Amino acid sequence: MKQPLITGVGITDFGRFPELTEEAMAQSAILAALADAGTQLSEVQAFYCGNALGASLPGQRALRELHVNGGAVYNVDNACSSGATALNLALQALKVGQYDTVVVFGMDHLSSLGGGPLQLSQKDWNNRRGMIMPALYAMRAKRYMHDHGLKLETLADISVKNRKHGALNPIAKFAKQATREEVLASRPVADPLTLLQCCPAVVDGAAAVVLSTRASKGVAKPVQVLASVVQSGLFETAPVDMTEAEITARTARLAYEQAGIGPQDLSLLEVHDAFTISELLYYEALGLCARGDAAGFLQSGAPALGGRVPVNPSGGLIAKGHPPGATGVAQIVEVCEQLQGRAGARQVQGARIGLTQVTGGGIWGVDHAACSINILSL
Amino acid sequence: MVLIAAHVAGQPLQFPPIEFVHNDQPVEDIALGPIGSLYSFTVVHPGKDKPPYGLAMVDFEPGVRAFGRLLFDIEPPAIGSRLRVVPFTLPDGMPDYAFQE
Repeated sequence: MKQPLITGVGITDFGRFPELTEEAMAQSAILAALADAGTQLSEVQAFYCGNALGASLPGQRALRELHVNGGAVYNVDNACSSGATALNLALQALKVGQYDTVVVFGMDHLSSLGGGPLQLSQKDWNNRRGMIMPALYAMRAKRYMHDHGLKLETLADISVKNRKHGALNPIAKFAKQATREEVLASRPVADPLTLLQCCPAVVDGAAAVVLSTRASKGVAKPVQVLASVVQSGLFETAPVDMTEAEITARTARLAYEQAGIGPQDLSLLEVHDAFTISELLYYEALGLCARGDAAGFLQSGAPALGGRVPVNPSGGLIAKGHPPGATGVAQIVEVCEQLQGRAGARQVQGARIGLTQVTGGGIWGVDHAACSINILSL
Repeated sequence: MVLIAAHVAGQPLQFPPIEFVHNDQPVEDIALGPIGSLYSFTVVHPGKDKPPYGLAMVDFEPGVRAFGRLLFDIEPPAIGSRLRVVPFTLPDGMPDYAFQE
């Protein structure tokens, strides 16, 4: 079996760009990744496109004006996990020798869709009765507060941390620092979550990576993928513990096993902090701390830049934004740059192994529909 | 008012009731509650033009969690409160149910 490597990465600014299209943003990311990899467009045999909210055939729409040669284009929609799922599929094709060089990219352009929470299907029982994603996580937060004595201030501190990280990230154009008091005083969205505890509703962006089984011609050292796992949610109608991120814990167990490492070996993580409570739940699900100890883990300083295992050094979704199709690939770009020592002011010193985690969507009966975890190392 | 869950042999109880079965499997109606326990809740604030509304996850015997609107006067009930099911009309005019202490 062949060993694919990430030989180049590219990412656009993440912000509000109503004058652009998602196709133009995807093209920018792809061309940046190819330049970083020292690879010509003509060498790419297949493209894997993660996109959640665009028109049909998003990959072909993005690629047509790059005049690609008619090779394979795979469009992958797995909600917020789309980009990371696309990477997982690309790795499989490279490992068995179907292709030797491919590009994985993801993009979404939320400026085209107006504001407010992501629209959920009104076919779903819960959505017809007023469910929105912030409400689902707000209910998790309420229960976690009840069960573990979590304080509002601790929820706010996640936002403060990630916004501080995001302010160091030059592509995070929407990132603004905020104090704990400002986070708590921002407009209520779904109690106890306030506006500054939710990822911004309208952010556009694209990201791309080049993967190859050939010798790297890239600017930076190539990155190995130690593990890549995609899982789906369980259909549950019985009472379950909403404070347990079951799908993330299950996906992480498989990923750690595949990589032959444990959470103690990680240097940094990029996780799906769509809401402040999400990041706290993922500390526990990913094994960074015991169940119920997320607040203590945050307060220890471990997940902050300069701490033992920084979480979301890019600023995460809360500071950087969350164009769903792009997010999974953007996390990969961030971890690669960290491992390669190219992360500038937000560099995690001595970074050796990084993990990315995205979940995806929510449908009635399956609160988390998808989860993708990748573990990377030089 | 009570909610009705569906039971298909070999499967857990399901609410809302299953919409279709395969191979003509029999479906048994199971009445829930009528009193449930509030597992968690939130109050959604849709914006300045729309009023806030409550949402709840409520656990019923014999082992089903139901989701729906949460009605309250001034403050929402606490987690663990005993809730009953009451008639409620959704904003689009559809007759439905909600939970109330």
